[in-house]
Amino acid sequence: MASDEEYSEAESDDSLYNYESRNTSVDLICPKNPNLTSDDSEFDIDEVDSSDYDEEDDIDNSLLATPVSPSTKKALSEGSVPNLKYECLTTKEIYEKMLKRINHLQPVFSIPPDDVLVLMQHYDWNEERLLEAWTEKMDELLQQIGLKSAEVNGSSDVRGIKHRNDFMCIICCEEKNTDTFSLECGHEYCLDCYRHYIQDKLHEGNIITCMDCSLVLKNVDIDQIMGHASSTKLMNSSIKSFVQKHHRNYKWCPYADCKHIIHLKDTSSLAEYGRLHYSPFVKCSEGHRFCFSCGFEIHAPADCNITSAWVKKAKKESENLNWVLSHTKECPKCSVSIEKNGGCNHMVCSNCKYQFCWICEGDWAPHGKSFYECTIYKNDDTKSKGAQEDPGKQLKKYTFYYRLFNEHEVSAKLDWKLGQTVGHKVKALQDRMGVSWIEGLFLIESIKTLNEGRTALKWSFAVAFYSDASHNLTKIFLDNQMLLAKAVEDLSELLQIKEPETIMKRKPEFYNKSGYVENRRTALMECGRDLLCKGICKPHDG
Amino acid sequence: MSSSKRITKELSDMGRDPPTSCSAGPVGDDLYHWQASIMGPPDSPYAGGVFFLSIHFPTDYPFKPPKISFTTKIYHPNINANGNICLDILKDQWSPALTLSKVLLSICSLLTDANPDDPLVPEIAHIYKTDRPKYEATAREWTKKYAV
Repeated sequence: MASDEEYSEAESDDSLYNYESRNTSVDLICPKNPNLTSDDSEFDIDEVDSSDYDEEDDIDNSLLATPVSPSTKKALSEGSVPNLKYECLTTKEIYEKMLKRINHLQPVFSIPPDDVLVLMQHYDWNEERLLEAWTEKMDELLQQIGLKSAEVNGSSDVRGIKHRNDFMCIICCEEKNTDTFSLECGHEYCLDCYRHYIQDKLHEGNIITCMDCSLVLKNVDIDQIMGHASSTKLMNSSIKSFVQKHHRNYKWCPYADCKHIIHLKDTSSLAEYGRLHYSPFVKCSEGHRFCFSCGFEIHAPADCNITSAWVKKAKKESENLNWVLSHTKECPKCSVSIEKNGGCNHMVCSNCKYQFCWICEGDWAPHGKSFYECTIYKNDDTKSKGAQEDPGKQLKKYTFYYRLFNEHEVSAKLDWKLGQTVGHKVKALQDRMGVSWIEGLFLIESIKTLNEGRTALKWSFAVAFYSDASHNLTKIFLDNQMLLAKAVEDLSELLQIKEPETIMKRKPEFYNKSGYVENRRTALMECGRDLLCKGICKPHDG
Repeated sequence: MSSSKRITKELSDMGRDPPTSCSAGPVGDDLYHWQASIMGPPDSPYAGGVFFLSIHFPTDYPFKPPKISFTTKIYHPNINANGNICLDILKDQWSPALTLSKVLLSICSLLTDANPDDPLVPEIAHIYKTDRPKYEATAREWTKKYAV
């Protein structure tokens, strides 16, 4: 199952914050998708304003009015997304784009690029806001952010590392011969303490200041103190928090260890996808496909609601979730689970930075003046549902489907692994049978089809669980499901063959079986969407 | 561990130059667990009371803030029934250059000037903002009852 990202503050640093450029040959794993790269290469952050999110229905109407052509329909049900223009990035690439913007803006500022970088960081990489503030109050801004010392006593210290004999550091209280660092403010501490201090702050992504005043440590200072390029770590976490904050337009690939980010500029059509029970699927350069709306792996034929209901239910069964439910609340805005481990009721979501009140889960802003809302406990009225099936029967039904779901999940993981090694198989075909690369491609295609079929099958159990079993369409759906299951197993068996000779001999079978899986999958997806659109399948807490 | 050296230093500084109206020192042999007392500021409804606090230093002090809570009950918008204090320098605004003595002084000034816009106890904050005499009366009452 896709990992449900919960950003805790205690993220261990190294593995997560290292820059890593992924230069895997994209073309091999995912054939060039014309939609993958945005034709508009300019990097706008201005559009990333979450407040005006999908309120203009008139844009979506165009989508509604045009009759969906059979080809588009097919494309949609296949999970490729005809109308979404997105790009796949890494934090490093986003950072490089930011640097490019800074170079571009450089002439506007009369200060070094490193200083502009700090300004950008302060303004959450929003250059428009920065430029506005800059033109308004240049000097004030420099002082306020800590790029310029407030005290004008002339005798400013020299920024940098010095060597001192018998230096008494007031942080560790040790007297020693040591290297020290200080900014112009003259607050001087030993390098060991400075390193410890900076190390702790690198992953927070915020501007790091002198320990005793608001003067800023620039990237050069940080690298000088740490002795290596640690500032990249800080920039990386700063970009990460930028991505988290703009989660409507930027989404992390949910696959374990995948560091790619999908950037979707125009989110206006997302709501329409949801309304039609389609899911906007995107694909990262590693070939991981996931839903941009809910951030889960590709989950058709289930839509986002069914998926989230299913996943919540699956979690509910585990001990862990019991704890999460009793100790945490979901951020009202981005739904990340938040544990309150002390302190006041003024909560700031570490994921999207939304400020809310722990008691009433409302926006924090109005609380400054009135506290009435907080004394009223929010009633959970979602529980009051009328006619429900016998809980024991429900549980049985759930366990049945969950077991199937789980089995296919395990198989899907194995299939994925198989896919990673398929290159070797094709290579073996080339070497031993003299088959050309192009001719061997059918193997790669078959694995891809298998993966897609398996994933669709897996999620179809969630749809089956939430569907009204007595309805005729559900029966048709279940029949289709069985056919796909059979098709997937057949193809999977075929792909287990190792001997190159046999593979080549049975090549037509690969084509036939893949084609069949593909057809069955399309049929099941259509059928599932039908259930959703007609309201036969809908989430309930069973 | 450098933290013990630093805490020892703070202890001796505290003895040599104690901050006004506060005192603090280790409980028993444990250098990392202190107790502190704060005299209610004279210009506040807490005047005349002595408030005790429990302090735990983390092992990576001073890079992480000390954990401080009131052990004496107190009626204050930023201090709750468990004695937890809502104070920025005890959380994200902590700096290694701060000392326990500076923190205690900040808590003293929090007693004089509450911050009702970032309350830990919204009910008290509400009374503080709308009916100051009532807040002061209750705070005085609690001081008399628990801190004298």
